[in-house]
Amino acid sequence: MTGPKLVSILRQGSWLIASIHTALDDTQMVLFQQDLIEQIGRYRSRGVVIDVAALDVLDSFGARTLRTMAEMARLRGAETVIVGIQPDVAFAMVSLGMDTGSVPTALDLEEGLAYLARPGGRGPGHRGSAAG
Amino acid sequence: MSAAESVGMREDRRPHDDVAALIPMLRRIIEARVDDAATADDLVQETLVRVLAAAARVEPGMLEPYAIVTARNVVASMWRDQDRHRRNQHRVVDLDLPDPPDQDLLANEERTAVAEALSRLTDRERATLLAHEVSGQDTRSLAAEQGSTAGAVAAQLNRTRARLRVEYLLVQANVEPPTERCRPVLLALSGGDRRRQREVDAGRHLLECDVCARLSQPLMERAQPRDDEVRIPISTDADIVAARQAARELAARLGFARTELTLIATAVSEVTRNIVRFAGTGEVVVELVDRPRRGVQVTARDTGPGIPDVERALTDGYSTYSGLGLGLPGARRLMDEFAVVSEMGRGTTVTMTKWCGER
Repeated sequence: MTGPKLVSILRQGSWLIASIHTALDDTQMVLFQQDLIEQIGRYRSRGVVIDVAALDVLDSFGARTLRTMAEMARLRGAETVIVGIQPDVAFAMVSLGMDTGSVPTALDLEEGLAYLARPGGRGPGHRGSAAG
Repeated sequence: MSAAESVGMREDRRPHDDVAALIPMLRRIIEARVDDAATADDLVQETLVRVLAAAARVEPGMLEPYAIVTARNVVASMWRDQDRHRRNQHRVVDLDLPDPPDQDLLANEERTAVAEALSRLTDRERATLLAHEVSGQDTRSLAAEQGSTAGAVAAQLNRTRARLRVEYLLVQANVEPPTERCRPVLLALSGGDRRRQREVDAGRHLLECDVCARLSQPLMERAQPRDDEVRIPISTDADIVAARQAARELAARLGFARTELTLIATAVSEVTRNIVRFAGTGEVVVELVDRPRRGVQVTARDTGPGIPDVERALTDGYSTYSGLGLGLPGARRLMDEFAVVSEMGRGTTVTMTKWCGER
């Protein structure tokens, strides 16, 4: 892909922090999904924060893709938390009638990381030696 | 020729020898002022000619200062000429392009097309139009002749012009409109009558009819560009983002709250995705309306297969692809007005409106 990056996926310990930088179309959203799932495997991540603060709209497709990503990540052994949903985007999602219950969310990146680090959550340390 | 030769040929040798002796000095003087060697040479020659012509009149011993002054003058007048030339150069440019070789042919075709288009008008339309445009008769006297009003005649002239434009385009493209809907649509576009365009559903027809899509180009360009309308052709999912951003931008001008802008953008996103998923191509038109109230209206048209059961498609959870089944019903909830018209095999039009301000 040319031009500025649409999405960045940063690694911090056993967590991945994925930030969306601009409005994504469907194809880019699916590419992002594949990219993220692949990186969860590569870095043996146990927690993922997806920052969607830059998304202008979370329509049914966008929301479904996020939910799919979270579910796929869960199946790969990583917990996902979505952060940065803007108030108006949240309002639109509710008005649209979207069921958004199953994926944990947090206000912003800080809260998201705190959520992952909570007692009983997926701590920042690496996976057990059995896996590594 | 060289100055020395010309000097040598004179019969009275004395003063000419003096002049010849001046040449190296003159060359020095002029070359000190003029860069270009060829020009300098020319100026030396010119100076010599003048000095020679005056040599008989000049007092002995004064020839050298005379030559020096002459040389300076020659250089100065060259500079003056150059300056004048530079200042007036723009006047010399010939703005008229030479006639292209095919001009006659094209003009001829043009004439034939106009004549043919004129012959397709009714006699009355033609007579009135020619009386007004060619003979310069004003609408009031035309109205008096026809027992009508000036306003009515002007309106009739406008309709005639619109027809003439359409017929001209048809003649020039050498096509007959493929369907009986083509002419009314082209006429509505030509006349710039938006209400009429809606009545004949011009937007949909242009999506369906290639001939009209092509012919209507010049008619659309004619229309005054409207800054309260955006038209986005839809074919890939990148266009979904373009459409919703265009809608948000346009609606923002009406002073919608940020929340409402997001609702509009989300609804546009949903209906536009339907076009990409089910129809492949179509268009989204976003326009600002002010009747009955101020608001933003979105029309999404496609020429896809159509929706077999619109009622069911508007029900939550009905989905033909692995979506959430929220597309149409969701968009309906986000907007204030919502209408779907679908015809099997011909396509679907979704029209939705969000009013601005108090409900």
